[in-house]
Order: sequence, then C-alpha cells, then structure tokens
Amino acid sequence: MSMFEGRRRWRAKEPKKNQPASRRISTMAAAMRALVILMFGILIVQLINMQVIRGEEFQEQAEINALREIPIPAARGLIYDRNGKLLVQNAARFSVAIMPGDMPEDGQQGMYRAVSEAIGMPPEEIGAKIEEGIENQGEFSPAILKRDIDRDTALVLMELAPHYPGLQVIVEPSRTYLTGDLLSHVLGYTGPISAEEHAELESQGYLVQDFLGKAGVEYTYEEALRGKPGKKLIEVDALGQELSVLSERRPIDGSNVVLSIDLDLQQRVAEVLKEFSGDSLNAGAAVMDVKTGEVLAMVSLPTYDNNVFGKSISSEELAALVDAPGKPLVNHVIAERYPPGSTFKTIVGAAALQEGVATAGTTITSRGYITVENEFDPNVVYIYPDWAPLGTLDFYGGVAMSSNVYFYYLAGGKADEGFRGLGEEKVAQYARGFGLGAPTGIDLPGESEGLVPDAEWKNETIGEPWTVGDTYNFGIGQGYVAATPMQMLTAVTSMVNGGRMVTPHVVKEYQDSMGNVLEAVPFEDRGAAPVEPGYLDILKAGMRQSVTSGVARNAAIQNVAVAGKTGTAEFGEIQWNGKYPTHGWFAGFAPYDDPQIAVVVFLERGSGGNDAAPAAGRIFDFYFNGSRAPAPKIDPIPTPGPVPGAEISDEPPPATDAPAPAVTPDPVPASVPTAVPIPVTPAPTPEPPPDTPPPETPPPSPQTMRLRRMEQVL
Amino acid sequence: VIERRGVRHFDPLIILLALALVAYGLLLIYSASLSAYPEITAGHPMIRQLVYAFMGLGAMVAVAWLDYRAYGQFAPLLYVVAVGMLFAVLFVGDSAYGSTRWFTFAGQQIQASEVAKILVIISLARYLADRQTQMRDPRVFVISLVMAAVPAVLVLIEPDMGTALVFGAVWLGMVAMAGAPPRFIAILLGLTVALLPFVMLFGMNDYQLDRFRLWVDPNSDPLGGGFNIRQAEIGIGSGGVFGKGLTEGSQTQLDFLQTSTTDYIFSVLGEELGLLGAVVLLTLFALLLFRGIRAATLAQDQFGRLIATGIVVMILFQVFINIAVNIRLVPVTGIPLPFISQGGSSLLMMFIALGLLEGILIRHKRIEF
Repeated sequence: MSMFEGRRRWRAKEPKKNQPASRRISTMAAAMRALVILMFGILIVQLINMQVIRGEEFQEQAEINALREIPIPAARGLIYDRNGKLLVQNAARFSVAIMPGDMPEDGQQGMYRAVSEAIGMPPEEIGAKIEEGIENQGEFSPAILKRDIDRDTALVLMELAPHYPGLQVIVEPSRTYLTGDLLSHVLGYTGPISAEEHAELESQGYLVQDFLGKAGVEYTYEEALRGKPGKKLIEVDALGQELSVLSERRPIDGSNVVLSIDLDLQQRVAEVLKEFSGDSLNAGAAVMDVKTGEVLAMVSLPTYDNNVFGKSISSEELAALVDAPGKPLVNHVIAERYPPGSTFKTIVGAAALQEGVATAGTTITSRGYITVENEFDPNVVYIYPDWAPLGTLDFYGGVAMSSNVYFYYLAGGKADEGFRGLGEEKVAQYARGFGLGAPTGIDLPGESEGLVPDAEWKNETIGEPWTVGDTYNFGIGQGYVAATPMQMLTAVTSMVNGGRMVTPHVVKEYQDSMGNVLEAVPFEDRGAAPVEPGYLDILKAGMRQSVTSGVARNAAIQNVAVAGKTGTAEFGEIQWNGKYPTHGWFAGFAPYDDPQIAVVVFLERGSGGNDAAPAAGRIFDFYFNGSRAPAPKIDPIPTPGPVPGAEISDEPPPATDAPAPAVTPDPVPASVPTAVPIPVTPAPTPEPPPDTPPPETPPPSPQTMRLRRMEQVL
Repeated sequence: VIERRGVRHFDPLIILLALALVAYGLLLIYSASLSAYPEITAGHPMIRQLVYAFMGLGAMVAVAWLDYRAYGQFAPLLYVVAVGMLFAVLFVGDSAYGSTRWFTFAGQQIQASEVAKILVIISLARYLADRQTQMRDPRVFVISLVMAAVPAVLVLIEPDMGTALVFGAVWLGMVAMAGAPPRFIAILLGLTVALLPFVMLFGMNDYQLDRFRLWVDPNSDPLGGGFNIRQAEIGIGSGGVFGKGLTEGSQTQLDFLQTSTTDYIFSVLGEELGLLGAVVLLTLFALLLFRGIRAATLAQDQFGRLIATGIVVMILFQVFINIAVNIRLVPVTGIPLPFISQGGSSLLMMFIALGLLEGILIRHKRIEF
C-alpha cells in the first residue's frame, strides 16, 4: 500500500476544534432512519391500498386480461324445396380485421404498412378504422378493415398474421343461392348485423360481426337457421395467442328448412307470368295447397338476384336496386295492395247468400247501368255502368258474367225498387271475415294489410260521408278497397276448402343435417270463413260457370275442371284514349269437384279475362297435366269499360235480356261512380260498341278523378 | 493496510443482507423469465445475474481492501471520468426504450450512470470533507450543488429522470450530513417547489409530459405507454396479501408485464408473493440501510461518513422510486431495483458501494457502541 503513502497522501482533516459534532451526527443518523421508515411506510400504505383494499377489483381485471371467450359460429341451416332440391349453400367470405387490444405497443406502423400492401388500403385509413372500432366496440372486438377479400389475399394475410399480433383473417359464412333470381323474394338474403339490430339482439348472443337474415325465409326463420353458436374459454398471453382451452361448448348447427315451394312449379309460374305480364311494371302469382295453406309457388316480378347481397353491396348499388322500375326488391304478392276489382265479387256474392240478400235464383236485369238519385236533389242522377247490358241474370250468371249491376244490387240495394242490399257495413264485415284488411300471417316479412273501407273510415280519412255510390263501387272491388294478391288467394282458398281460413306459409318443416324431420312447422287456421259451406258451393258453381261459359273461359284447360273469377280493375290516371289503365286479376281453383290448389295471378297492367285468366290456365295445365303447352288461341274477352263522352251512344240503353253475343263481356267494370249529373231521362249510357275493346271501366269524371287520387294516396 | 484489529470491524450483516436480496432477486428473475426460458441454460438471465453477483462480491472485497481514502486522493479525476462518461454516452451510447444509457464494452453493456453515481458520491464527499469548516459559506453550498447538478443534467438528457433525482437526493443527504445550514437547504427546497410549475410547463419535453399524463391516466393510451402502467398495477393489486405463488402469476407468466426482470420486477413480486413478499423485501432493504447508516456514524473521518451517507441515500431513493413507479405513486421512470433487478452494471456497482461501506467500517478507530 506504499503507493498511497508519502507526502502527497490526502487525508480528510478533522476540524481544528475537536468538536466532532457527534450529537449532530447521531441526530442525522436518526433522521435518516426515520426517513427510511417514512418512505417505506408510504410504499406499504399504497401496497395495502392496492392489494388488500382494491385487491378483488384487480383480480377481476387480471382474469379478464388472460381469459378470452371465443365464439364458435354454428353452420347456418340449408334450405330445400319440397322435393328436397337444395336451394342455398354455405360459402366462405374472407375479411381482414385487427384486434386492437392485441396490437403491440410499438411497430403498429409496420403492421399497417404490411396490411396496406396486401389489401391496398392506405395506412391512415387502417388507423382510422381501428380507432372507430375501439370507439364502437372496445379494444377486444376485432375491427373489420375490409370485407370480401379474395382467397389469395386472404392466404397472404394468414401468413402475415403470426408476425403481427392482433391481425386476423376472419372467415365469415356467406350464402350462395343456387336458384339465382327465381326464389329471391321467398328466400331473402342475409347481411351483417346493424348497430340497432345488435343492440336489440345482443342478449341472444349475437356479436357485432355476425350475419343474420334480412329478408324472406332467411329473416323469418333466422332462429332455426342460425343454430346455436358455441364458445370456448381460452387463456391467452399478452399477444393474444391462444395458450390453452379451458372449456368449450360445441356449436349446434342450424336446422335445415324445407320449403313448401315446388321448384319446378315455381319455375313454370315465373315463365308464365313473364309471358303474360306485357308492359306491366310488376306482376305476381302464387299457387296454394287449399287444404294446408302451403304456398307451392310464389313469383313476384320484376325480381332480383339475392346473391348480390352475398358480397358487400355499395349504397349506390343498393339504391339503384331499390329505385329500379317495378321495385324488384318488393314482393308484390304480399307487400303491395291493389284494387281487387271483380275478384272481390266472390266475397260480396258469398256474403249476400249468407245474409239472405240473394239466393241462387235471385234474378236482376242489367240494362247496362244503374242510376242513383242525389240524396238532396232528385234532379241530379248518378249513373253506375255495367260493362255491357247483360240482361237478366241469376246468381250464377251474375258471377259468371261478372255483372256490375248484379253486384251493385247485392252490395248497395236499389231503394226505389225495394231491393235491400248488404250495405257498406256488411260488405266490410265479410271482406274482413275473408281476411282482407289484415295480414294473412304468411311466414315472410313485409306483408301489407290491404284496406277495407267503411263509413267510419271514410269520414275519418277523407272527411266525407259514405254514399250509396261508395257501396256500389265497394261491391265490385273498386273505390277504396285494396288487397294483396295473397289476401285474394287465401280468401278464395277458404271458399273452396270447406270454409277454413288457412294461414299461408312457404316453409313446411325443419330437418337436421341428416335429413331427419325435426318438426313440421305448425300453422294454425285463422278460424272459419264467415259463410256456410252450402252457400260457398253456390259461389263455386258460379265460378265454375265463369270458366265454362263466362268471362274466365280463357282459364279452362283439358282434363281438369277449373273454376275462378277474373278481375279488371281500374287504377291510376286516365289515359290518352279516355280509358283508365287496368290491373288484370284471376283468382281460382281446381279441380272443381275436389279442390286441391288455388291460384292467383295479378298483372299490374292487363285484363282479367284476356291476360290473367289464360296465365292461370297455363299454371293449372302445368300442375295437373305437366304441360308446358302455350295458351290456345285466346278467346278475346272484351275488356270492360265504356269509353267516356264521345262514345256515348245516343240511343237509349238497350234493355236487352242477354248480352249482345258479339260482345263478350268480361265485366269488371269498375270503379267509380260516374258522378256526372245527368238529366232524369235515361241518359245515354255508355255502352261498348260491339267488337270494340271491351268495356271495363266507367268514364271518370272530375269527381272520380279526385277519388282516384285518394285511392292512390291510400 | 488492513490491520488485524480492523477485520473485527468488518460487518458481515451487510454482506448477508445483500446476498439475501440477490437471492430474492434471482427467484423473481427466474419466475419472470419462465415463459421465455422454460429451461435453465447457460444464457439464462438468472445465471448471468448470478455471475455478476459473484463478480460483485469479488469487486466488493477488492474495494474494501484498498483504503477508501485513496479514492479521495483521485477524486477530481474520478469526477472528470464520471462527467466524461455521461457526456460520451449521449453520443456513442446504445438506446433502449427511448433512452440512451449504455456503453458496449467488451461485449457487455455498461450503464454509464450506474458507474457515475458512485464516482460522484466519492468526489462530492472529498469536496465537502475538505470544506467541513466552511459549510456556512454559501459558495461551498452552491459549488457542491453544481458538482451534483452537472451529472444530473447529463443524465436528464438521456433522458433518465429517475437517476437525475437520485443525484439530487444524494447531494441533499450529503450536504445535510456535512453540516450545511438548514436555512440554505430550506431556501433551495422552497425555490425548487416555487419553480416546479414553470419547469413542468416549459422545461419538460413531450416525452416527460407524456409520462406524466400517463401516470395520471394510464387509460388515455391503454395500448401504448399506458399499457405497462396498467398491467403492473393489475398484477400487483391482484396479488393480494399472500400472492398467487411464485411462477403462478397470470400477469407475469402470460407476458402482460414488460421488462419484468428489470424495472418492473417488483410487479412480479407483488403479484406472485403478495403484500407479505413486499414487506419481507422492504424489511431486508431497511436493515441494509440501517447498517449503512451505522457505518456513517462509525466512520473515522468526514470523508468516510459522507460516502456512507451518499450510498445510503442512493440505495434508499432507488428502492423508493423503483417501487413507487411500479405501484403508480410517481410517473414512469426507468430505474433498477438495487440487488434485485436483472442488470450487471447496477449489481456490480451496488456491491462496490457495499465494499466502500465495509472499507469505511474496517478502518474506523472508534470503540464500537
């Protein structure tokens, strides 16, 4: 140690006054000990606060940290037609997502760049989507960056995922509809759950990334198709990597759904409807098993391909589809209501028989019109036209020839002749009894209620009192009354199946994945039709006569007795030729003796006798005879509707007993009162010049015009 | 240099306590690195720490062997070396976690500030010991302050707020022990408190402001800077009184804690060994510090007394700041837990500090009391 010795050796000098201040030193030492105790005391107080007082709270957080509940989606059920033909398949669609809570503290930019390169989305946008995701769902729900990436990109991203904690490729189920646009309105489609839906359905275990049925059977039978998602509880590390599975509940796959739809029939109905729809904006047809209410075919035109909803559809594309002419997304069979025209006479006729207003033998003479005096001024007389002077008709003839006058009497009566009609209230009551004015309860979303007017309704809605003229229009299915094709179909069904109001449905049963029937879907009848079977038989005979020799004769086919009722209902604005455009209707059934199916055809523009009836004939022909033969030459049925003004003949109305042979009537004249005050002298009634295009509609007047507008509004 | 009677004054408790702390630390390092090192191999952090501990013991003996007054002889040189190191590390040092603190020397990373702390303590002790009769002179007070402030500011630039605070605390403890008038100290503390708001407003850079903000509310950036604050809190809090058991802590074992063998090793202890484990740790530290304070009172001269004081204050503040960061009493600042945190420089310098204490004890001439 000599190197430290010598003259330069330094030593701390003690103070000259030998006053080591030993007291101060021991004070300092005591102070330092106190400081140690104080500072460690502070630490211990905080530790007690955290570990004892708030210990449980932190324990919970530690568990949340390390345990994750991972949903295991269930495979969505498949859908078959009634003969076991597969209609929809499950497919996969890939989406890229990031779980914000698993992202590393550093290196997020590198991750964004890598993902950005793969999917071609700028890194800033990725960052923004993640921020948005955290805000909406918290940091432990994946934020979807892009949906529908192709399989190759998905594979690239799957390889990247292990290197970038939080990056996920989500494989989502998608639906491929094998029948394209043929069954879109029935099947509907699925789509990602919306924020509102999620808020409502969260308690049922729906997750923000789930898909669910948005329309059609996919919507109505969501619960059965969805199955029950499973889940597993896993332990994860801070990078979100799965370490172990603590518990697992396997998913229960969705049930398969078997439709009552017969795919072949559906195909044929679609062909037929296209063929006969002419320049209609839309059209609808449906076939029902009258005993069960099973819908065997349901076609609404125009249609759309529901596969477009299997990809992410842009709001522009969607808007274009929604606004397309004819509203392809709307199922016109159930979702839109139209004036039913003369098909409504079936209801009025049945009601009149039940109420004793008429019997099978009640004869009424149609001179081509009916007049009604103004309540306050007898000099003002309104004329309600028939589509032709049809002469004296009994009940069968009234139905078969679709005489407006016959049904004016039944509905509104004829006070000056002492004929008591049903009156507005009864007509409305029976219309409701046959299911109009309320949803049929079909297992598809978006059904319209239709409209059954009455005096109270008119007073409240229009602010005018109900008139006899309103009852006349009501009696022939014009004016305010409106129904969906499905409502007319179920009404006719109940008339021919012994008086049971069936609930229409498109699904027959559920099956498991092995094809075992799990359960038939129960649909209870909505009660009994308001008319006794004996009276309904009279009505059916009238409908049969309509096809054999009346205005529905274009619906006749070989081998099978078809019965039915046509309708040609005016709507909209008067056209250049002084007529109103008309809807063409047919509602009927077959075979007459033992009804099996009922058919409704609705054409937005067309005639009941010349378009809808032959279309229905093709459908019956296919169903019973398996025939795809085109319609035989159509026997022209004059479309009713006297042309206004100019064509009014000067001659007094012919009081013929029978319709002019040349003029084959299909009645369905329709609607609105000719509210033209006319001289008391029987005025020239509109009468269709022979061979002219059939009369169907009475000429509108200013008042009519207003009513029509109302009708549209309603 | 060691006289035979001097050996009697050697304090075995200091060594035993230090070894107990190192052993405690090894257990925690083992648990914290279990997920990364399922098996113990040559490169296992625990093994490396053990090697440094042996090296530290050797260094301790060597430092104690030499007469500590010899270090005083070279004090000016030591001070220049300390400041030079801190200055140089800013330019040639390695960075980690946003801070430049390390030299790479012979394949080993050396944390400059760890070495500088001891050197500055020796230099300050020498300066204050030389002027023990002039302690009422404000110039002595100010010059000593500048001596501590220069390395503190350099460390602050790295940035390493925690170590800078340790420099401040060490200086304060040493001038107090040296006999600086209490009013000087009071004036300085008053000034500091008065200036603090301005320093925070204008003197702190974004990095420090961020850390302050995260301390107040870690959830403001739960995935970024706030992540570790929250995870440490959750880990310690969930440990409860008895802890989840060594190697059983989910926060530790599932890697929710970052730097769990170094700055956040206390969180491992808090989670797995609970409040009891923490009390044991603090008791060990308290006993060690009391032995250090004893050394200060026994020192034969002012120089030794001041060195012992500096070392005690240094260890006390490092322990306090490290744990306080873990339990969210103060904003985040990276500072190792003495004897416990994995890290060669820190462990070596701690043993060297204990060597100084032993050297002071061996050479005291008073009668023990």
